[in-house]
Amino acid sequence: MSRAIHGDLPVRFRYTPGVANTSFFEALRDRGVLLGSKCEACSVTSVPARMFCERCFAELSPGVECGPGGSVESFTIGHVGIDGEALDEPVAVALVRLDHADSVLMHRLLGIESPAVGMRVTARLRPQAERSASILDIEGFERE
Amino acid sequence: MARRVAVIGAGMTKFVRRAQETGKELSWIAGRAALDNAGISLADVDAVCAGTAPDAFDGVHRKGDYLADGSGAWGKPYIRTFVGGGTGVFVPIQAWYTIASGMADVVLVLAEEKMSSCQPHPQGAFLTIFDNVIERPLGPNLLWIFALEMQRYMQAYGLDKRDIATVAVKNKRNAADHPSALLGQADITVEDVLASEVLAHPVQRLDVSPISDGAVALVMASEEAAAKLTDSPVWVQGVGWNLDSTYWTNRDLAYPEYVENAARMAYDMAGVTEPRKQIHVAEPYDPFDYKELHHLEGLQLFDKGKAPEAAAAGVTARDGDLPVCPSGGLLGVGNPIAAAGLMKIAELFWQLRGEAGARQVPGTPERGVAQAWGDLMQVGTVVVMGTDGGPSTTATRQGTPPIGPRATPLTDEAFRSAAGAVDEPLDLTYEWDTGEAMGAFLEGMRDGRVVATTCAQCERTLVPPRVFCERCFRPTDGWTEVEAVGTVETFSICHVRWDMVALDPPEIPAVIRLDGASSGGFLHKLDEVAPDDVSIGMAVEAVWKPVEERTGSILDIAYFRPRHGGEDR
Repeated sequence: MSRAIHGDLPVRFRYTPGVANTSFFEALRDRGVLLGSKCEACSVTSVPARMFCERCFAELSPGVECGPGGSVESFTIGHVGIDGEALDEPVAVALVRLDHADSVLMHRLLGIESPAVGMRVTARLRPQAERSASILDIEGFERE
Repeated sequence: MARRVAVIGAGMTKFVRRAQETGKELSWIAGRAALDNAGISLADVDAVCAGTAPDAFDGVHRKGDYLADGSGAWGKPYIRTFVGGGTGVFVPIQAWYTIASGMADVVLVLAEEKMSSCQPHPQGAFLTIFDNVIERPLGPNLLWIFALEMQRYMQAYGLDKRDIATVAVKNKRNAADHPSALLGQADITVEDVLASEVLAHPVQRLDVSPISDGAVALVMASEEAAAKLTDSPVWVQGVGWNLDSTYWTNRDLAYPEYVENAARMAYDMAGVTEPRKQIHVAEPYDPFDYKELHHLEGLQLFDKGKAPEAAAAGVTARDGDLPVCPSGGLLGVGNPIAAAGLMKIAELFWQLRGEAGARQVPGTPERGVAQAWGDLMQVGTVVVMGTDGGPSTTATRQGTPPIGPRATPLTDEAFRSAAGAVDEPLDLTYEWDTGEAMGAFLEGMRDGRVVATTCAQCERTLVPPRVFCERCFRPTDGWTEVEAVGTVETFSICHVRWDMVALDPPEIPAVIRLDGASSGGFLHKLDEVAPDDVSIGMAVEAVWKPVEERTGSILDIAYFRPRHGGEDR
């Protein structure tokens, strides 16, 4: 006779952001800027900043301020939550290519009824007093 | 015909309790150091082989491609392999056949572990290695497996704990000369080890390697590529790997047969016929001090039960007849699981090149063996490396010497207050299906019966029952029952829970061999006996819960107790 036995995995995780992300988050919280890193050899700028170039393994420093403006690379409008339940308000999420960056950043779109690929947007940050060194210090992107 | 394969560079981070760096960043530090040591760039690498232990340590699934950027895998053939604690010595085996088969000439080999994210204790991630249905309900602790095995090993050969403790002393002293070590300690004594807190008797705090973060990398190359890149390649002469029964309580806990099988495979390939003469330096897996000794015996370097007295006599010291873990091993350098195994290969590389600095063993070692162990404590992975008598190329070495390792330790306070830190619960629950055989076993519990199956071909009576015989790979032939009486195969007195919260009174987990079963024992607990009165071979019987409280669970047996009138073995 076969039947189900119930169990769990009683662990949780605490992730500290690492060397490069710490620079990114502290600059975001303290100065309200979005820091990227540029690999001169590969001519590729990534944001958030990285400690190393994944293409050539060069060491990078977080020296490039990207955005706050950028363009929508792609977007989606979600009508259901993670359990498949209907959302009261649809959620718009976009991949935004910040000015001066080659990589894209995933974040929310704010107050844009009909987004379009290529649309110019700009980051809206929380007031400095409310910022906590989190990706949510960016509230989202709104029409430029 | 397999192509010859060499190690031509190695690098590692410092091993730390908690690193500020992410796993990706640790991987990159080690990978970059190995490339620099080999004198090549990432563009020279054809393929990448990576190893990292359970995803549950990080709460990140598909850790292989999560680490891909730090592993240098962008746009390259890449694979992550995983055999638990055996991973670190298996990754170079993966790289070996990637090169030996002709698929690549230069391979970057990466092993990374970041255990510090897992809260409240990384042991939680190990709970899932126990059988979901008949072991997890007992509230097991990873230390149980080690304590039960150590106890069995000590009893089988009449070993002295003091001799075993000399391994912890040797390795922590050796590690004092390793620039990457977490727990090097030049002045530690056997008395310190024997006086340390008892966690799960006979395991004490200083018998155990520390939880750590870190990464290690190698560059491996074909003979043709190595000839162009270095004047001192270290050759992979033999590789082997092997697995014992997945029913860990059915194993011979006193001797690691799977290590012997893996070692024989590697020695055969390497042409090693007399390992005690032909192996000049060894790096066996030492997450616990007794494991180094257990594994040295499996590696055929000492007779069964004889490694402890040899260790106590100094034979395995750095300047002894057979230097063992001159690196400082897991006990001294640290145990970021997969990285710790690969650290052993890196140490052989440095030792055989004569580049180990203060750790260098005397003489000119020409051949070494490294080994790791893991999964549900039954995989053996073995690599034999050697210089083949000296330089076989005319290349001039271009790389940097082994560089100063880095990684930034985070204090408890910095860990708690780190800007941008994120806390994530896993919030998962599971429903495990018992399957037919285990379902019947649990229904039997409800009636106070121990259900078994039989295999007519190998003539075994199997507990726990299975619907197929794993040795004969055919259906079992019928159901039977065995009495709930047996003997204690091994036991521990455990003072901590899996999350290291103290238990008072302690609990007594044991492997019980039922009289009617031929497959070996199963895991349960003892009670109605003082801890000091428990002995291996003691006759015991099940104490069942009242019928109305039974639920069809392994816990329907409340515990086992001494069987009065029973015959001790």
